Amino acid sequence: MSEVVVRSIAADGSLLGVTATVRPRDGRAEVKCSVPDAPLLAQRMQEVVRLARHTEARFDSREQVVLSLDRAPGAGSRDWELACVLADRLVRGVWQSQRPVVANGWSDAWHLGRIDGHSLGVVPNGVLAGGADGLPHLGALSGHPDPAAGVSTARAWFPLVSGGAGDSLCWVEVSVRPAPHAGDEEASIAAPGADAALQARVRAVLLGARHFDGRGLGQWRTTVRFAETRFQGGSFELALVMADRMARGREFLARGRVLASGQSASWHAGRVETVEGIEPKCALLGREAGPGDRILLPRAWEGRLPAGWREEIKARGASLACVDRIGII
Amino acid sequence: MLNLFTRPFRQNAPVLPGLGADSIALPLEKGCTVPAGCFAVLANRDGHTRRLSEGARVAILEGERAWCVHPGPYGCELTPFAAAPEIGLRVAFAIDAPDPREAQQRFDLYLASEGAEQVALDAFVDALQAALQRELAQGNLELPPCTSFEEWNQFRSGFNQLLYTRFGVMVDDCVPVDLGAGRDLAALLAARLAAAPLPQAAPQAMQEAFDAPLEDARALRRLFLELPGILCGLRLNLAPADCAGFRRHQDLLRRLDLVSLSAGTMPALDLAAPNQPLAASEQLRRARHSRRAAAALDEAWALLARMQPGDAARQAILLDEADRIVANLECDCAARRAVTAEAP
Repeated sequence: MSEVVVRSIAADGSLLGVTATVRPRDGRAEVKCSVPDAPLLAQRMQEVVRLARHTEARFDSREQVVLSLDRAPGAGSRDWELACVLADRLVRGVWQSQRPVVANGWSDAWHLGRIDGHSLGVVPNGVLAGGADGLPHLGALSGHPDPAAGVSTARAWFPLVSGGAGDSLCWVEVSVRPAPHAGDEEASIAAPGADAALQARVRAVLLGARHFDGRGLGQWRTTVRFAETRFQGGSFELALVMADRMARGREFLARGRVLASGQSASWHAGRVETVEGIEPKCALLGREAGPGDRILLPRAWEGRLPAGWREEIKARGASLACVDRIGII
Repeated sequence: MLNLFTRPFRQNAPVLPGLGADSIALPLEKGCTVPAGCFAVLANRDGHTRRLSEGARVAILEGERAWCVHPGPYGCELTPFAAAPEIGLRVAFAIDAPDPREAQQRFDLYLASEGAEQVALDAFVDALQAALQRELAQGNLELPPCTSFEEWNQFRSGFNQLLYTRFGVMVDDCVPVDLGAGRDLAALLAARLAAAPLPQAAPQAMQEAFDAPLEDARALRRLFLELPGILCGLRLNLAPADCAGFRRHQDLLRRLDLVSLSAGTMPALDLAAPNQPLAASEQLRRARHSRRAAAALDEAWALLARMQPGDAARQAILLDEADRIVANLECDCAARRAVTAEAP
């Protein structure tokens, strides 16, 4: 990608743009930053980006990333920091986004990947906001639990189809907090924002899957959140179970996101059963999958996948598994 | 009787407690015999190594260090993902008999360049785990959720090759296991929540633990001894198909040779110029760069593990990866030589 623009909402409500480009390094610094009329701010920007790179596994000294803010942000404002970090990742292809990114967030510990907060009053829809209520750390972009936090949170994505234009990936997030209890396991699982039927289903699924797992009963207080709760059907169940297992540290992690579709009537046996909508879901997954993503589909779909779809997924860097049960192999 | 033979010709085998259980290699005294079931590795300052089999008398030459190595097998548990402590791999590995096709066994090189006075199993397993976690994070090995049989077999062969190329150990057995009984995430998180009020303490304590002269010396010794091995591996395992590839390959080898020269002639950590001391902050910067160069060296070994001779399809990718690693090495070696930090 040649040029990337990430935006951030400034204090007065207007959009601040961060433009990032890559060029050969030729012995220069690995990050070059510029802010009109504010050289000190450019130094801070370079520091932020360099610190955030400590959380990446791969270092490439051959390229220089040039970042520039289109105007100086207000005095004392630090909400542009997350936008700079994301622009730096987008332009090098470390992270990919299908749609334009608007991000607000600041941190005192970028080297740990932690994002401490944002200063928006109300977070508009679609804006990535740092902090405990939005994006608590950089690994959460791909749903990974934070290895340094006291509450373990993981996300998985499932395809939501609504007959065409509205098809999208929806995330489900499971956070677990250690709280040993002897009582009713169902009462320790909450799904704020979900109606009673969905809440009951979430509880039954998690109970069954933890029973299959053998561990996790009576240990946790669990909160389940959905990006969107107005949906029908049970194809979110596999994603929910995978997010729960990742949050409890009992599942290998994908390098990117986990995209899953599947349900079961017998989670206590760890079985995965088929769901409907193979064509629109495959089309959606084919559009959305990125490098390192892991796609999990029911085993029954294996022979019915569209021709050439597997190769397409592989070419995008994602990997696919058709499973009939969860767990190792 | 004449008291002629009070001293035995052969010294008794030395007492080496814990060898084969919680340590892999222990130092040997001059003149003793190599115990049964073990072998000895002797390495001199230039990294030349030789092996002595069991029962041999250890004659240590000038400037040599000697270890007694138990071939194992050893068992350990590795956590492939730091964020998933309850799922792991149970690995059994052993140090094999020498491969006659190799001029120098990789494990001997490991001892010569990284081996301390004694090699404890815990520290060695930590090194194995770090190598595995880095390869998984970079996407060179794949161990995704709901791993299928083919993916597992592919992971196993990559993992075996990685440990053989990087550490010179053979993996006997590797199975996924549930570590939940030993490493309880709930207890870990509860401890973390209880310790939450003082978040600033930990990172600063870590910073103090960085011993610049020691880290720098260790990293430079690794660079000095292992870069020729990397160079040799790159030359042997990568056979370019076309002229352009050949030229890139040659260029890469030439640059790596220069890095090797640069590592061999590296200026002292604490001198800016002869008899001119260097500020402590700059020493710290230099040591950080040499440690990063050593990390690039680890990546180079992992790359060699992925290279199969005659694998033409992935050659462009591998060449590009080698180019990146060599560029990182060049960059860090140049920064290690520099007296002041580069201008932004």
